Amino acid sequence: MAASAFESKSVTVGGARIQYFMAGKGAPLVWLHGVEGNLGWLPLHDELARNFTVYVPTHPGFAGSDRPPWLESFLDLSRFYPWILQELGITRATLAGHFIGGWLAAEMAVMSPQLAERLLLVDAAGVRPREGEITDIFLLGGEGARRLSFFDVNQVADYQRLFGSKPTPEEREAHVINREAATRYCWKPYMHDPSLPPLLERLRGLPSLLVWGREDRIVPVEAGELYRRAIAGARLEIIDRCGHFPHLEQPAEFMRIASAFLAR
Amino acid sequence: MFIMRFTERPYVAYTEEDVRGSFRSSVRLTFSNSHFNPELGADLYNEYLDEYEFSEEAGFDGLMLNEHHNTPTCMGAAMNLEAAILARITKKPKIVLLGNPLPIFDNPLRLAEELAEIDMISRGRLVSGFVRGTGIESWATNTNPVHNRERFEEAHDLVIKTWTTPGPFRWEGKHYHFRVVNPFARPLQKPHPPIWIPGVGSPETLEWSARHHYPYIYLETDPQVTVQMTELYGKAAAETGYEPGPQNFGYLWRIHVQDTDEKASEVGQGFLIGNAGIGRVPMPGDFMAPAGYNSREGSKRILEQYKHSLRPDALYGGVDSAGWDAVVQSNRVVVGSPKTVIKKIRQGLEILRPGILGMWTNDGTIAHKDTMRCLQLMKEEVLPAVHEMGKELGLPGPFEQAP
Repeated sequence: MAASAFESKSVTVGGARIQYFMAGKGAPLVWLHGVEGNLGWLPLHDELARNFTVYVPTHPGFAGSDRPPWLESFLDLSRFYPWILQELGITRATLAGHFIGGWLAAEMAVMSPQLAERLLLVDAAGVRPREGEITDIFLLGGEGARRLSFFDVNQVADYQRLFGSKPTPEEREAHVINREAATRYCWKPYMHDPSLPPLLERLRGLPSLLVWGREDRIVPVEAGELYRRAIAGARLEIIDRCGHFPHLEQPAEFMRIASAFLAR
Repeated sequence: MFIMRFTERPYVAYTEEDVRGSFRSSVRLTFSNSHFNPELGADLYNEYLDEYEFSEEAGFDGLMLNEHHNTPTCMGAAMNLEAAILARITKKPKIVLLGNPLPIFDNPLRLAEELAEIDMISRGRLVSGFVRGTGIESWATNTNPVHNRERFEEAHDLVIKTWTTPGPFRWEGKHYHFRVVNPFARPLQKPHPPIWIPGVGSPETLEWSARHHYPYIYLETDPQVTVQMTELYGKAAAETGYEPGPQNFGYLWRIHVQDTDEKASEVGQGFLIGNAGIGRVPMPGDFMAPAGYNSREGSKRILEQYKHSLRPDALYGGVDSAGWDAVVQSNRVVVGSPKTVIKKIRQGLEILRPGILGMWTNDGTIAHKDTMRCLQLMKEEVLPAVHEMGKELGLPGPFEQAP
């Protein structure tokens, strides 16, 4: 599907220039990206933009957005983000995110429940599994982590463009910046916040959908189950033949599930 | 000239296959410690201490130790313990720690205390080097690599203040927070033990060292690159308002001597195992330099510096992959009879002009008995000659002329 018209904009927050893409009409939906950085305006966003004003910001410190010099931890990021939304004029939104983006959405919601209309968490980090582990993507290296990220790369329409093995110098530079940002925020405790699970209880009744790839080898489905149990009323949908990126690997099934939830 | 003796204290009882079987085929970080035999370890630690003890008798001015973690290539994971033993069992040589990896210490005050004890037990013979550590040290201690340089600088400032400012005082920094800084025992040397900074030439560290008047010790770096790095240090020193001399520089050099050139060449090849480990299996780059460990600007400058060196991966010991003949040809390892070695050392000193010479006498698979013979020949012929050379070439060490 061809990308429809979207705007590439920026907003200055606390001295930092934050990049974001936006399009659509309707209530706001903020899509928060994972450790790979902002992949740009995706077909997924087009789909969502039919019914929402979709915002796709680049997290501070990731390629495209500044990092305020004091912003060092995931907690800092979670406290800073509501300010970004405030400067965008968003007082309440559907918070959606993948991997650390999902974690970020959950942190913002427990901190400022009034900010969240709904939660849509996709293979989200943030909660430490009890039996399995969140795979150490830093230790695996970029290549190794990518290999574990998909059930079958042939299912990803845009795989070569998004994750292909021959990056341009600019893409390589962006990769280094993104890896550094992820390391800064997620190194220790690795990809989780020990205080998050007890706080999630605060979200009871908040419409929350958790979508997981059954074959996610980065964040095991068990983490989704823990999220589901922690947020009373939340639903967990598991997609078969799908790895860590359901929205890229099984986009049709992902959108079918997400649309039903978002229409409510 | 100040001459010190060094070995990484390797452990070599494993195979290339073992290394290849480790996670990401790395000899460091993920190479399982199930390959370590403590019985053998007990022998090795004692042999290595014997060698250092004899190094005093051999006439070395300093005994240099280093520290690495999660690796068979260096058994000095708690270098300060070895230093404390040497402080007690030797009388004259400086105990040169190159160095304590500051960023990995969550409590630099404990480090300040340990070093103060070593300084007192040795009656003022400690040289306290500080390093950022390789990336492996960050991984092994789960220290965020993006904060490596900040923690290095802040821990340094805290240790120095702890040694020089009467306590109690308070420290509220970015990475370190202490409300009652007041370690009771303070170092013997005033204002504090000398600080030397070893490294492979990270430009930011070179400039930082120059600003602090700290001698910079090149760890077996490409000679041509070393000359350029010295210019970089000189530029930063000039901006600080002084002109550095040989006393501001050290060069660590693999030098092994035996009775004949043939024997030395045969034994010396054990160096090739060295810090790359058995099999020289290339390590993942992100183990040695994880994301954020070097600033992006710093990374570019390092690559630029090394672009003309023998091998592009020379930074991480890759130079030895060029093969024994190339390594000897390029003088990255000096082996031979005393006569041969003395001649080659002179050539190197004329080019690099360091006031500190680190003699990395053995590593890898070089056997203890060969090391002891090497040290004996150093005592009888090499050290007297090199000390003379230092005077003749005008290469004062940092204890002869203040850096």
